[in-house]
Amino acid sequence: MERNPIRRQLAIMRQSLFDQGHVDEQFVQLEELQDDANPNFVEEVVTLYYRDSARIILNIEQALERKPFDFGKLDAYMHQFKGSSSSIGAKKVKAESTLFRECCKSGNGEGCMRSFQQLKKEYATLRKKFGAYFQLARQAGPVETASRPK
Amino acid sequence: MLEGKQNGHVFKLPKVILLAKNITNVELEKAKAAGFADTVIMKPMRASMAAACLQQVLGIGKKRQAGKDMLNGSPVLQGLLCGKKILVVDDNMAHQRVFAGALKKFGAAVECRESGKAALKLLQLPCCFYACFMDIQMPEMDGFEATHPIRMMESKANEQMNGGMDEDSGRKGEWHVPILAMTADVIHATYDECLKCRMDGCVEAL
Repeated sequence: MERNPIRRQLAIMRQSLFDQGHVDEQFVQLEELQDDANPNFVEEVVTLYYRDSARIILNIEQALERKPFDFGKLDAYMHQFKGSSSSIGAKKVKAESTLFRECCKSGNGEGCMRSFQQLKKEYATLRKKFGAYFQLARQAGPVETASRPK
Repeated sequence: MLEGKQNGHVFKLPKVILLAKNITNVELEKAKAAGFADTVIMKPMRASMAAACLQQVLGIGKKRQAGKDMLNGSPVLQGLLCGKKILVVDDNMAHQRVFAGALKKFGAAVECRESGKAALKLLQLPCCFYACFMDIQMPEMDGFEATHPIRMMESKANEQMNGGMDEDSGRKGEWHVPILAMTADVIHATYDECLKCRMDGCVEAL
């Protein structure tokens, strides 16, 4: 158990990311790639993710404004988005992407809209959580090793 | 350990591995039957998996083991990738960074590019890459489209080097950089495409 109160808080935050299903095992892979040579690796990758995925979300939004829906295109965009999300272990976001794609495949426009709204919610929530987490992490300073969630 | 030589005498390593998602058993069997892929790797790419796939595809040593992280830090895989030049081509920056980072942990010297076009420039002969992991779903030029000209180039070079069939059969030179393709949808990817452009294997992406 961390004696340092900031580190303790950080550990709690981190655990809740897993417990609440926001991130999965892949996130641990990111943490394991963080070391002295790459002390901010996780934050860097997550930042890249939000940058990349913002573009895709915009594309999807624009595509959803065009009727009738081009389900093929929507699916392709979401496929990209899903790949991106899974590379950082964004579990809930990824799950919602899957639902969206299923709606695309069955030509369910309403379902797509609903799913996309939900996805954006999860995406924003996760971003907030990451924001708080990394801010605290920077305060805490470098940590020795990543540990697996209990 | 198979090694490619840099002096113009060749890799005997015909391997392009596709990284893909959602592979069905049917697809996998098809791939195997076509002599195409022995193994499927889950994306997001883990270096351990990538190395294992590469290893298998190169016909080196042990079979792929089940389980996600069994191969992490394995000395065999360390040996496989250590010091090797690997090219990662993926327009998804987050994924590119994660995968490259993982390969580097295994000691590989990793170069990254975001497009098929950029990758082509690096894969001109003589090619110094031990293997190339290529996303097959990129805008402008995807992995299939990028692999095709590479194979054309290699065929040409090989023909020139070997001057036909009547060369002494002992040393048939053969340029062939292992290209491993990454995709999230094997179903879309189709092994036909892979076969057509002579990629070497399938790796499954989440």
